This record gives sequence, structure tokens and C-alpha cells, in this order.
Amino acid sequence: MTIQRDPTLRAAAAILAAGLAAGTAAADKASDTLTVALDMEVETMNPYQSTSRMSLIASKMMFDTLVWRDPKTGEFAPMLATEWEWVDATTLDMRLREGVTFQNGEPFDAEDAAFTLNFFSGPEAKTKGQSSVDWIESAEILEPFKIRIHLKAPFPAALEFLASPIAIFPKDYFEKVGFEGFETAPIGSGPYQATEIVKGETITFVANPNYFTGGARPAPKIGKIVFRTIPDLNTQLAELMTGGVEWAWRIGKDEAEGLRGMPGLTVADAETMRIGYLTMNAAGTGGETPFTNLKVRQAVSHAINRQAIVDNLVPPGARLIPSACFPDQFGCEQDVATYDYDPEKAKALLAEAGYPDGFEFTFDVYRDRPYAEAIIGDLAKVGIKANLNFAKYATVRDALRSGGSQVAFLTWGSNSIGDVSASTSNFFKGSADDTYKDAEVAAWLTEGDASVDPAVRKAAYSKALKKIAAEAYWVPLWTYPYTYAFSEELDFTPTSDELPHFALTGWK
Amino acid sequence: MSAPDLLQPVVSPRARAWRRALRHGGVLFGGAILLAIALVAVFAPLIAPYDPYAQDLSQRLIDPVWGPKGSWAHPLGTDQLGRDYLSRIFYGARISLLIGLSTMCVSGLIGTVMGVAAGYFGGRVDDVVNFVVVTRLSMPVILIALAVVAVAGSSLTVVMAVLGCLLWDRFAVVMRAATRQVRDLEYVTAAEALGMPVRRIVISEILPNVLGALIVVATLEMAHAILLEAALSFLGLGVQPPTPSLGLMVSEGRQVMFFKPWLIAIPGAALFLLVLSINLLGDGLRDVMAPEGRS
Amino acid sequence: MLGFLVRRLALAVLVAFTVSAVSFVLLRASGDVAVAIAGESATEADIAAIRHQYGLDRPLAIQYFDWLGNALSGDLGRSIFFNTPVSDLISERLPVTVAVGALALLFAVTLSVPLGVAAALRPNSPIDHLAMWLAVLGQAMPSFWFALLLVLVLGVWWRLLPISGTGTFAHYIMPAIALGYYATPAIMRLTRAGMIEVLQSDYIRTARAKGLGTGRILFKHALRNAAIPVVALAAVQFGFMLSGSIVIESIFALPGVGHLAWISLQRSDFTVVQGIVLMLAVIYICLAVVADLFNAWLDPRIRVS
Repeated sequence: MTIQRDPTLRAAAAILAAGLAAGTAAADKASDTLTVALDMEVETMNPYQSTSRMSLIASKMMFDTLVWRDPKTGEFAPMLATEWEWVDATTLDMRLREGVTFQNGEPFDAEDAAFTLNFFSGPEAKTKGQSSVDWIESAEILEPFKIRIHLKAPFPAALEFLASPIAIFPKDYFEKVGFEGFETAPIGSGPYQATEIVKGETITFVANPNYFTGGARPAPKIGKIVFRTIPDLNTQLAELMTGGVEWAWRIGKDEAEGLRGMPGLTVADAETMRIGYLTMNAAGTGGETPFTNLKVRQAVSHAINRQAIVDNLVPPGARLIPSACFPDQFGCEQDVATYDYDPEKAKALLAEAGYPDGFEFTFDVYRDRPYAEAIIGDLAKVGIKANLNFAKYATVRDALRSGGSQVAFLTWGSNSIGDVSASTSNFFKGSADDTYKDAEVAAWLTEGDASVDPAVRKAAYSKALKKIAAEAYWVPLWTYPYTYAFSEELDFTPTSDELPHFALTGWK
Repeated sequence: MSAPDLLQPVVSPRARAWRRALRHGGVLFGGAILLAIALVAVFAPLIAPYDPYAQDLSQRLIDPVWGPKGSWAHPLGTDQLGRDYLSRIFYGARISLLIGLSTMCVSGLIGTVMGVAAGYFGGRVDDVVNFVVVTRLSMPVILIALAVVAVAGSSLTVVMAVLGCLLWDRFAVVMRAATRQVRDLEYVTAAEALGMPVRRIVISEILPNVLGALIVVATLEMAHAILLEAALSFLGLGVQPPTPSLGLMVSEGRQVMFFKPWLIAIPGAALFLLVLSINLLGDGLRDVMAPEGRS
Repeated sequence: MLGFLVRRLALAVLVAFTVSAVSFVLLRASGDVAVAIAGESATEADIAAIRHQYGLDRPLAIQYFDWLGNALSGDLGRSIFFNTPVSDLISERLPVTVAVGALALLFAVTLSVPLGVAAALRPNSPIDHLAMWLAVLGQAMPSFWFALLLVLVLGVWWRLLPISGTGTFAHYIMPAIALGYYATPAIMRLTRAGMIEVLQSDYIRTARAKGLGTGRILFKHALRNAAIPVVALAAVQFGFMLSGSIVIESIFALPGVGHLAWISLQRSDFTVVQGIVLMLAVIYICLAVVADLFNAWLDPRIRVS
């Protein structure tokens, strides 16, 4: 303990131990160890303490959820709950699986499920992703293997949340070790157990030999999976090329081209539900801007050569989108006004709008700088000078909400929910993020969100999306494919939910 | 310098310094490279083969002329957006020099005022300056610069201002020491005894005598500022694209460096050459002005 | 000596206070941490709730004095992102940073001191010129670029060294070189200048006249005196290395405080950055004091005055 506390001693010990160690163990199929590179560390082993993707990826390894959402088909299937039934719009009954044990041997029953739902939706837990639990009123135990979930209000996405962020915790163990103890020795019922956590560097997961069978998720196939935090993307590539890691993702187009020719590596692309778009301050909140003029917005839409950017910069598999939503989402109307690449028309529209010589504006961007640069280059060709302001997501979002942003390049992943209510409604329904203030659009979206009749919903969303496109509030850009590169010995299938499912991965 | 000095047949110390400078290898070599880079930077609009901002997505990542698919159309190839690399290097040198010079001026002014004040007045003033210098030195520069840039938004002006306001410490320390040496010299005490105002003493008696040290520090800080700007831009919080900055070009090129190493090799080498020339010049000037330092 | 020590310590404490206040204001202005905590899909209400929950809706001055009071009792607050005490985060990661910094310094000293001594013994000889050129070249090399070249050449092309992580001693070699080479020129120049000065001094001449061997003169007398400014410089350089390792730690995937500060800054986790700035400032101040004391121990003249 004293050594732990004394940094100098620890440093000396680290150097010494490192010097004595023989070398990193080979990680590959032969040793049944998969090492994956992630650009950010998993900051907490308790998924309720985080909203980050890394923690969700780790949570999928260690924990089970009540419901399983098949990442390929998007359909719900039994996991810890074997069957479920809506008693009414705010009451959900679930029958639980018998014979499941947590990784420490503690048997799973209704106590654990009810505790998880009640505790982490309560104020004491300080859950960070409030929106994933705040729809829960309470959970009650009906039988040793049956629970009833009471909702605060009707909530169509309940199963989505029960299938993704809501990991079931072992009640007795968690109550015994508390938040801090759980960080160092997390226990779930999932296919992998985190056995060694080196902060900021690696997490080692070992297959759970007692993982239950009969659920929708198969037993783990790989013996040991190591998450390595490698923040720098080209360091990840270097490690991938030299065999230091066997898996990396979010690889850029040019790097992927280089990797495709390399022996021993598989490069795969998969579309995700993330879409990119430009949002223009059409309502002029925070002061008059050129973008309050419809002709200017249309000119911008015509000025950007989206096809060329998709062909040359975005990884393969991207689609251009015409509408303010992910094309496969329910209600995402595709038959809307479109704006072809036409710089001459853009110039003409600018002249009509009173800007024959163009103008300057600040372009807020938080990711994908090369795409932003290409957009800036296209705008320059029609005389619009965009001054790039590359900032943190939080800063850009603040600027948008306060009306301080004129045009921002944003992306949206819809929380992997296949419904327009998770995309368009988020931005055009009068919330703080609605910078367009179009009452008509907001009313249509409200109608669509509130109805349970698919036909009514579709019609309402269609009207809203057509007007959004006609008004050119957004420049909808393209879908975001992710490119993965991994050892050719690995049997890995990319999915559209922006989550790598290592628990489903095996060796060839 | 007054007119009679110039008319004197005897070789003045300044002329002797010049003569030494012209014989000094480092000064000549560094000066020549720096002059060449400065000319390229100043006349970039005239000599650059292309507009450094003009992108052409159909002409992406072309090899430089010595590469397998290179041609003289783009002597150093093109970047990820199909912009001519040679033109961007020219303009990048311009940005680097601009940052270097502006930082040198701003931090030089702050540091010199503080250093001369501390050295001349001593006592309380010296204590206060010493405190400010120690405080500044104990703040991690990169972290503070990053935090400021995060507040103010990153742009060329902000980067110039931030670096100018952060890199004055060496000026202050050196100017303080130099001023202390000079202030006890006879002619300064004589000027004081004659009741000359402090401002005039500083300007006409002190500054000319610490000029040598000032020039040496100025070149070192200019090099330092250029490297820091490159590092900030490399981290994404310096000069904003599409402005061509050498650090930014390394940062943008590094994703494909395993497949197209020249994308980082060229801007890095340009940066290296620029800083090297400034350092050579600075070192040379130090030798020339204090020949006894190098026996 | 005691008075000197007390004055130095008083200054150190004052400096630490100033640094903490300045960085607190700067960091708080740099982004809305509540938005960062709440995540991408948060609503306005979520953000307001978080702001209240973390006390971010109180006046800045009150938040600062609150933080300062806790910091004085050793509590640097909790990381909003990691939800763990900042002091734990720092003590987890400082060893890596210190290890890299120490190895970098070791690399710089073992390269520069012998070169400096050799150059001083034979001024204007080929070895002197070689040393000078190395110094000038080293100073002009951007460290991030050098680090990338090391990864490319030693890691990927030649596969001589592991590229990232901290598994073995070999993992530390590239980061130590990338971080240490920049300090080499300064230390070498100072060693050379100090040695030349000492070798020309009267007492070395006396020692020579007494017929003492060159080796003995060199190590017993000359080096010891020339070492004084070098030690001070090395201590200060070590302080700079700790704070300058942001890029190096990111490139080589080392889980140290530099990288922690950088990512925390990106996600507005200001309590962490605040803690690290304070820690680096304190380390720097302590190193400066230690360097002074060490000088006093090495050089009796300082001790007397």
C-alpha cells in the first residue's frame, strides 16, 4: 500500500519490473487472446456512471440486459427476461430466466432486476445518462422470477433502453462493495469478466465459463480479450501493422486503402445510423445573418459537392441523404426537395439574395476536419468565405443553443434508434436545439411522435421533412460508415449500431 | 549613434562585429537559409505554382516528383484534398515566420520592460518581477496555451497573442541580468547624477548596451515560438485549417504516414530547416557579440 | 541558509496560490462542463439538473475558495468524467510520467555531459564541432515530428522497438528519446561552457602545476564545479519534461498525467486539469528549490553567502 501511494517508489518499481519482464505476450489465435485498440479509455466499469461509447462497449462484455436487441436485424429477443407483456401503456411485466448466475456465483433473480431498475433510476445513484432511466417510475417483484415495471408515462422506446444501456447488476455484491469496490472488481452475468484493470492502459476480459445458454446471445468464443487504450489513431495503425493489436476501427479512407493491400489483415466497412449535416441559423436567433435568407441557404446547399466528398474522403459504404434523418429510420421521407451540386446556380441564388460577391461567416465544427475543409473549399468557389472554428462538442452545442452559431457541421447517431422521433424530432420540435423555430414543422412532428398509428405518423413526418427540405434548414450530408481493420484470423462482423460486439466474435 | 562616430577613420566596435559576423560560418549559413525562406515567404503569392487553398478532389495524394507517380505539375505532390503541397509549404513558411516575428515582438516588449525595470530599479520592483517570472515558469505552457485557445477559439490572431503573452520569461531574465551589469557602469551613474529622467537613461544609455543580449534571446524565442505554434497546430488547437501551417500539415499528413511518408517528411523538414537557420543565426550572433565566450 | 530557505518557500507558496487561481478562472471559462457530462443526447433539463447537482450554478469565487479549502486539506475534488477523486487519478498516472521523464533526463545527461566535457577539453576540434552541430540540429527538431519519425522508422520499418504502451523497459525507450533529446543541446552547451571556464581557472592550473593526473583533475575538481549550473538546468528541464509530455504520451499511448490533462481539457473535466496544473506547478517549484539547495551543497561559496 505504501508503495502504491508513493509515486517515486512506484515509478522505480515500474521501471524495474518492466526491465525484468520478458516481453509482451504474443496475442493471437494461437494464444486465444484478442487485443483491440480503442482511442479512449473505458473510464468507469459501471455503465451508469458514464454516457461514453467505450463504457457501453465494455458493458456489453460484462453485463446482460433484460432484453437483447439483435445488432443485425434490430429485433428484440429474450435475454435475462424470457418473455414480456405490456399490461397497459405504463406497465410492463417481465418473466425472468431461471438458473443464471453472476460471475461470482451469486444467483440471478427478480431481486437483482428490481434493484437495478429502482436504484439506478433513483436520485441516490446519480446516473449520468438520465434519459436512459428517467422514464422508470419503479419496479416491483411479483414472483421470485417475475417483475413489473411501472413507467412514468407511455414510452414507446422502453424496450430499446432495456436492451441497451440498462445492465443488470448483482444486488448483494454491489451493496457489499459499493461504487468504489465495484470499479476495481466489477461483476455481471455477461460473457466476459474484467479480471485486470490497468487504469488508462488495458482492461483484460476473461471468458465466463458459466455463461447461460438458451438466450439470444451465444456463449463467448474467445478466451481472453484485452482492451488497449491507444489515443493516437496512427499509433493504432502502427500497432495493427506490426501485430501489437488485432483489431481497430474508425479508420480513415486513405489509411484503409493502404491497409487493404497488407497481408494478414481484413478491412471491412459498415454503415452506421450516424448522419452528418450542416445546420444553418435560419431563425436568426442571436442576430441577423445571411442564413435567414432562404436563397442563401439554397445556395449553400447547391454549392457543396457532396458526391465528390463521399467518393473521395468518406469511407466506402456512405450514402448521400436527402432528408433530415437516417434513411432507414421509420418515417424518414426520402421524396423531398433536393439540391444538386451546381455552383453556377449557387452563385445566381447568392446574387438574387443580394450577395453577388459572397460573404464571410464562422463555421463551427467539432469533428471530421477534412470533410469540413472540403466543404470550406466548395463554398469558397462560389464566393462564400467560411472561417473554421474547430471546437469541443459542448462549445459548439452551447453556441447553437444561444444563437451564437451561424452554421455548424454536426453529426447525429440517433442513439441507434430506428425511428424519426429519435432524429428529426430531436431538432425541430421546439427544444433548445431547435434553432429554426418553425411552428408548423414542430406541430407535425408532435403529431407524429404522439400517435401510435403508423400511417398517421408517416404522413405527419413526411409533411415535416418535406418542409424542412424545401426551407433548406439543413444541408443533409451523408451517412457515416465505419471502417474496421482486423486480423484475418478473426471472425468479426461489423454492425450498424456503432458498437463492436466482441462477445459475439470468434476465431476463424 | 551620433554623426562624428561614423566619420571616424578608426574601425568602430560595431563594424568589427559586422566583420566577424561575415566571417562566421553559422551566421552566414543560417542567415542565407533564413533569407531564402523569408524571400519565399514574402513572395509566396508570386512564386507559388498554385493557390494553396485551391482543392481538387480528383487530384488527391499525388506523389512528389521523385515518387513513382510524381510529375513536375506538382513538384511536392498534393495533400488529402488535392492541394499543391509546394504552394502550401511556401505559405506555411509565411505563417511560421509571421508567428515567430509577432511573438518575438510582443514577448520581447513585455519581457524587456519587465527585465529592464527589475534590473534598473531593483528592490521591490525586482521582487515583483521575480515573482511574476517564477509564476509564469511554473505554469505548464502547453496546458495554459491549450486552455486559453479553448476559451478564445483558435485563430491565427489568438495563437499569436497567446504565444506573445507566454514566452517573455527568457527576455525578462536575460534583460534583468544585462541591465544590472550596465546600470552600475560609470556613464549610467553619471547620467543619474546629472538628473537625467529615467526614461531617457533607459532609452539612450541602457538599451543600446543590452541590445546584443536582446538580439540573441529574440532569435531563440522566435525559434521557440515557431516550434510551439507547430505543436499547438499539431494538437489541433493552433492555426485553423485551411490556413497552411507546417505543424498542421504534419498533423493532417500523419494519418497516412505509413503509406505516404513524404506527407509528414516534407513539412517537418521545412519546419526543421527554418528553426535550424534561426538557431544558427542566433548562436552565431552570440559568438560574434561575445567572442570571449567561445575561446 | 535558513533565511534563504524560508524566503524560497514563502515565494513557492505564493506562486502556487497564484497559479491555482489563474488556472481556475481560465479553465472554468473554457467550456460548460455540465454539457460535457450530460453527453450528446441530453436535454436542457438534464443539463440544468447536472449543473445544480455539481454546484456549478454557484458564483465562481465561491467555487474557487471551496476548491482551495479542500485542496489545502489534500482533496483535489472529483473528476466529473471518471467520477473518482482527482488525487487518485493523478497518483495512478504520475508514475508513468515520472518514469518517462526520468529516463528522458537520463538519456539527455548521458549523451550531453560526456560530449560537453569532450568538446571542452579540445575546443575547436572535430569532436567539438560534432557536438555543436548535434546541439543545433537537436534544438531545431520539432518533438512531435521526431516522435512520429521514431514510430515510423524504429517501430514500423525496422521493428526494433515496441511502439506503444508500458509493458516492458523497451516500451520506454522511444518516448524517452523523443522527450529527452530536446534537453540535450542546452545541457551540453552549459557543460562545455562550464568546463572551459573551470579548466582555465587558477586552481585547476595550480592542480596541474602540482602534477595531478588529468583524470583526477577532470573528475575531482573540474567536473564538480562545472556541474553546478548543469544540475540546476537539469532539474528545471525535468519540470518542463513533465509538462511537455502531452504529445509524447498521446503518440506512444502512455497513460500518464500529460495525456490525462489533455483529454480532460478536451472534455471540460476541469477539476482534473486544475489538479494537474497545481501538481506540475508544485513539482516545478520544488525542483527549483532542490536545485538551489543542491548547488549550495556542491559549491561552498553559495553556502557561505
